[in-house]
Amino acid sequence: MKRLLAVIAWVAVGGVGAAALSTIALHRGEPISATWFVLAAVCTYLVAYRLYSAFIAAKLLVLDNTRATPSERRDDGRDFVPTNKWVLFGHHFAAIAGPGPLVGPTLAAQFGYLPGTLWLIAGAAFAGCVQDFVILFCSIRRDGKTLGEMARQEVSKRGGLIAQLAVLAIMIILLGVVALVVVNALKSSPWATFTLASTIPIALLLGVYLRFFRPGRVLEASVIGVALVLFAVVAGQWVADSAAWSKVFTLSGVTLAFVIILYGFAASALPVWLLLAPRDYLSAFIKAGAIFTLAAGILLVRPHVLMPPLTRFVDGNGPVFAGKIFPFCFITIACGAISGFHSLISSGTTPKMIQRETHARFIGYGAMLLESFVGVMAMVAACAMTPGVYFAINSPASIVGAAPEEAAQTISSWGYPLSAATMTGLAHAVGEQTLLNRAGGAPSLAVGMAQIFSSTIGGERLLSIWYHFAIMFEALFILTVLDAGTRVGRFMVQELIGRVWKPLGRMNWYPGILLSSALIVAAWGYFLYQGVVDPLGGINSLWPLFGISNQLLAAVALVVATTILLKMGRVRWIAVTLLPMAWLVVITMTASYQKIFSPSPRIGFLSYANALTTQIAAGTVPAAKIAETQRVIFNQRLDAAVTAVLAGMILVLLVEALAQWYALLSRKKEPALHETPYVATQWAEGD
Amino acid sequence: MRRTWNIIKRGATHFWRGLREWCGDAAYEKYVNCAARKGQENPLSAAEFYVERLNQKYSRPNRCC
Repeated sequence: MKRLLAVIAWVAVGGVGAAALSTIALHRGEPISATWFVLAAVCTYLVAYRLYSAFIAAKLLVLDNTRATPSERRDDGRDFVPTNKWVLFGHHFAAIAGPGPLVGPTLAAQFGYLPGTLWLIAGAAFAGCVQDFVILFCSIRRDGKTLGEMARQEVSKRGGLIAQLAVLAIMIILLGVVALVVVNALKSSPWATFTLASTIPIALLLGVYLRFFRPGRVLEASVIGVALVLFAVVAGQWVADSAAWSKVFTLSGVTLAFVIILYGFAASALPVWLLLAPRDYLSAFIKAGAIFTLAAGILLVRPHVLMPPLTRFVDGNGPVFAGKIFPFCFITIACGAISGFHSLISSGTTPKMIQRETHARFIGYGAMLLESFVGVMAMVAACAMTPGVYFAINSPASIVGAAPEEAAQTISSWGYPLSAATMTGLAHAVGEQTLLNRAGGAPSLAVGMAQIFSSTIGGERLLSIWYHFAIMFEALFILTVLDAGTRVGRFMVQELIGRVWKPLGRMNWYPGILLSSALIVAAWGYFLYQGVVDPLGGINSLWPLFGISNQLLAAVALVVATTILLKMGRVRWIAVTLLPMAWLVVITMTASYQKIFSPSPRIGFLSYANALTTQIAAGTVPAAKIAETQRVIFNQRLDAAVTAVLAGMILVLLVEALAQWYALLSRKKEPALHETPYVATQWAEGD
Repeated sequence: MRRTWNIIKRGATHFWRGLREWCGDAAYEKYVNCAARKGQENPLSAAEFYVERLNQKYSRPNRCC
């Protein structure tokens, strides 16, 4: 009887999910309620978790609770620490949830709400969650080895090197592009710049408090820090209203870029307890709070999605970024559906803290489902504003014009009515001088979030506070990714150059620290600068580059996972990792090819460079702009080369893996697994 | 009424314990317990442990995109 009731309940959940998915897919004409998005996502996640992840756990991975995990065998109270599964879920989610699932869906909304929402839900269930879960399992069985180490051992030595280089490359591009999102959110905004700048002295204060006065008392320090940051959000309004102070904090894109580059260098070179760690604590609490508030806000307000299911920009001529749905919707969404970076977390701290093998399902698969839900919420927030406003905020000046009247006229001519007064009024309501040409996703998401929050608390009166709270929340945790990533990048650079000259590899030798910090900051700083001065807005070039590198890393992870599963003899169900891997290879290769060779200057790096070269040769570029144009030409060629190198690396790895799979399947080679030997757990079932 | 109160109290205790573990507040206690269990002499002080743990945590990818 109980079983029958459970079956009926799950059939009902599946039915509601299918109905909600059909509604958002087939709905045309009138705006649609966000409730359908929430229902479609939640029901699909529940069914996917209950059925698909259980199938993977039982048939593909054969999780074994009698086997001691690394945290039991090597418990040292520091690195290997047995951790409650709910707590570890929180750790893992806090680590994987970055700005990607917020920014990616917001940018992909230019195609309409439908393609992005479907990929967020299906991509997570069939690809992203599978990757995180399987890599976590593989790492648990190898004492918490990293993706690079597993690639070296299980695929080939070259595979390991490729994985390491791919990680470094993605890190550099990622840091450049997320810094660009922050610059576009803060430029010409004294309120937002002041609020974010205030988080630095607040973090320093917390750092000293936690180091010297109350070592390790993170909770009490974070309460103080969060209160100070919230005060800074309110105080930002006074700064913006003061003629003298607003001048100090009104910075151009280029100035902001240099300030952020300097900040990245400081965060990498200073002791970690002083700036980086306390900022991370602040960011973690504010991130958790903001995501929870957004979810509650969407459920309470149930806003109507005003964006159509498909816009005219499915033809590839979108103003936010150029390219058709296939492959650019998938490349742009990236982390909300599948992120290669997650494989680094799944093979980093989490496997060293997990108590039982079966917890890998809840933590690996479950946390990614939650991340996908964050992506769906970002999509709802972006699509809840009128399409005209969305395009005005996210389109570069070179396409829609810099003046409100010009932008309104251009966007209205696309079929998305907009008046100049609407944009001026909205900018005034959120406390900004202008909201035009703020490509990057952060400002439009902040407007969407502020509209949802203010419908719950405060109304129009608090719209500006909510907007700046949302900007602070996005920028704060983007900067946390930036400083933590710069530091990890510094370690990678030190490891590489330490092979040439040993002292540079010493992690406590200050000249080595300064040099490697300068190198890594210069690398991502270059991408940031090129994005800031790019006439097309930077996001058009850099976000697809980031998406390609991220999805390539996911393909690397799935190649490693597939190889390990083949060695384990799980040929029958190999499609679970093989199909998402093949899909990722197809979309990244297509996107790489188009980004390099497309004849459209807005898509292809080389054709854009050639078009500019022709303009210079024809004398249509003013003399004063020739040097700047030549720099843009060089940057486009550099981007083409980077894309080609990334695509080449994955092809080499794929060929190596295919040779290995052929040898294994044709039994020309005995499978050599590098699992740690079985040790029975000493813990009782309920521990 | 008493039963409801007990359930709330137990839930709140679990939540508080989980929150302390999640944010790292309880890390030193865990380390000291582990050191005692393993008979380790001269465990690190709270300040030493805090700095060492941070150095280790931020030397590998721990924040995602």
